[in-house]
Amino acid sequence: MIHQALNRLSNIMKVIGGIALVGMMLLTVVDVIGRLFQRPIFGSVEIVGFLATIIVAGALPYTYRIGGHVGVEILMQTASRKTQILVRIATRALTLFLFGLITWQMFLHAGELKQIGEVSMSLKFPTYYIAYILGFGLLLFAVTIIETICHDITQLRKGSSK
Amino acid sequence: MSPTLIGITGIVIMLLMFLTQMPVAFVMAFVGFIGFSYVIDINAGLALLSLEVYETLASYDLSTIPLFILMGQLGFNSGISKRLYEAGYKFLGNIRGGLAMATVSACTAFGAVCGSSPATAATMATIGLPEMRRYNYDDELATGSVASGGSIGMIMPPSVVLIIYGILTQQSIGALFVAGIFPALLITLLFILCIYIRCTISPDQGPPGESFTWAQKLKSLLGLGETLAVFALVIVGIFVGLFTPTEAAAVGAFGVLLIALFRRQLTWKGFVDSILETLRTSCMVMMLIVGAVILSKFLAVTRIPFEIAGWVSGLDIPAVLVMSVILIIYLIGGCFIDALAFVTLTVPIFYPVVQQLGYDPIWFGVMIVMITQMGVITPPIGINVYVVYGVAQTLFARTIPLEKIFKGVLPFLIALIAGVVILILFPQIILFLPRLLY
Repeated sequence: MIHQALNRLSNIMKVIGGIALVGMMLLTVVDVIGRLFQRPIFGSVEIVGFLATIIVAGALPYTYRIGGHVGVEILMQTASRKTQILVRIATRALTLFLFGLITWQMFLHAGELKQIGEVSMSLKFPTYYIAYILGFGLLLFAVTIIETICHDITQLRKGSSK
Repeated sequence: MSPTLIGITGIVIMLLMFLTQMPVAFVMAFVGFIGFSYVIDINAGLALLSLEVYETLASYDLSTIPLFILMGQLGFNSGISKRLYEAGYKFLGNIRGGLAMATVSACTAFGAVCGSSPATAATMATIGLPEMRRYNYDDELATGSVASGGSIGMIMPPSVVLIIYGILTQQSIGALFVAGIFPALLITLLFILCIYIRCTISPDQGPPGESFTWAQKLKSLLGLGETLAVFALVIVGIFVGLFTPTEAAAVGAFGVLLIALFRRQLTWKGFVDSILETLRTSCMVMMLIVGAVILSKFLAVTRIPFEIAGWVSGLDIPAVLVMSVILIIYLIGGCFIDALAFVTLTVPIFYPVVQQLGYDPIWFGVMIVMITQMGVITPPIGINVYVVYGVAQTLFARTIPLEKIFKGVLPFLIALIAGVVILILFPQIILFLPRLLY
């Protein structure tokens, strides 16, 4: 059930990321055309920056799930399957440690931004919203890592019970 | 322990961690964070994490990356490549090895909308391989030309690696883009020459195909028009100051989308696939930059890049020798690590040295892209070779062995090395356009 819920959340984030991407393209094109007629979109640069953050926040769990990050494969290819899974669990744990800290710090940072009432320069939009969205993407990413670790452990058990 | 020693220890640990197949981006961020916290203190390290991640991801400059990737993906899923190939085929198809030459030329043209090397190789393999088989081309020549031709996609602007180099070193992305044009054309010519020599020595490798009338040839050029128009709008737009790189990328992506819709060649599935692949690649690239930024903060407090720069400039050896060593490191690194990852990893270390030696940063950027992209066709990683192998497997009943593709790539690799030597001897080929325009 947790797996399903996580999958659904990760899919929702993916769709939000996709909408942000298309939105970023359309907004910029309309801004460029508008500029030709002296009617640019006010604050478009800021919105594009926000959308870029949302794209990554949305894509983080999905990219990790499909193994979309590049690594060096040479040595591990020659190792046994069991060793490969064990090393993978260890590196996933390190990644979880790192992103657990980043998530925690991001929520703290968002809280600070809210407290000092920081707003963007042109639109006066409160930036803590964006920091919270990023924090949520990071949190979901961290939970996705935990899920993949559980999956690896199951695989390891299956392998040893054979 | 002195900060420099801590830095060296950090780099060694990082290299060891790479061997565990942990993603390069996360290793860089991890070592950067631990090292920074050790040299300064843990609170500074934690603040570095939130601040750098947020600032990097929310940066307007970086928003150009997903948009250029989207432009390439839309081109990949919308049949633009087929028309580019047809034009090359009509002009060159009737000469010996002409289909392979057409493939290489189409790769260069496709590289003008797509900044990814494996995507270019995959697209052209799907179109070029069946045609070459129909005319009894040797498998080695056919697969070798597709895999190698794909590598041009990374040099021809818009190139994702050049954008990242530009952001990391604060060089103009427009200048880097125009600097990549002539080297990409030079490599195309060298590849065509390589095919010509191969087919002159053993003519049955690439028998001539059918010939076309001039009317047919000229008509095929119409298919090139729209791609050329988008490319010209993007590149010219950036350097006349009409657009920022982000705006140019958005206009380019939208232009390719319009062409695809107008020609009814983009399905809903193709559109969704383009978006998903863009999300994946963008996330991967952005994480690499986050990792590189955190690592470079650590390296800066250990003063390693400056120590190396100072040490190298104090050595009594010619600058060209130091540069050769740096370029060889890129050559070896490119064979083992993804070009993008390797560039983000090493630029913070080598860039101060290059500046100290007095080399032009634009020249260096194009050179390292040229050299690391050799890695896409060399063993053991050679991503383009695997891509072509995979495409051939789905296209044909009998697969083409990997060794055969690697063998087919070898003459092109020699052509690439010749290209690099030419660019070292004649840096003007890279610098001519940016100096003229900037």
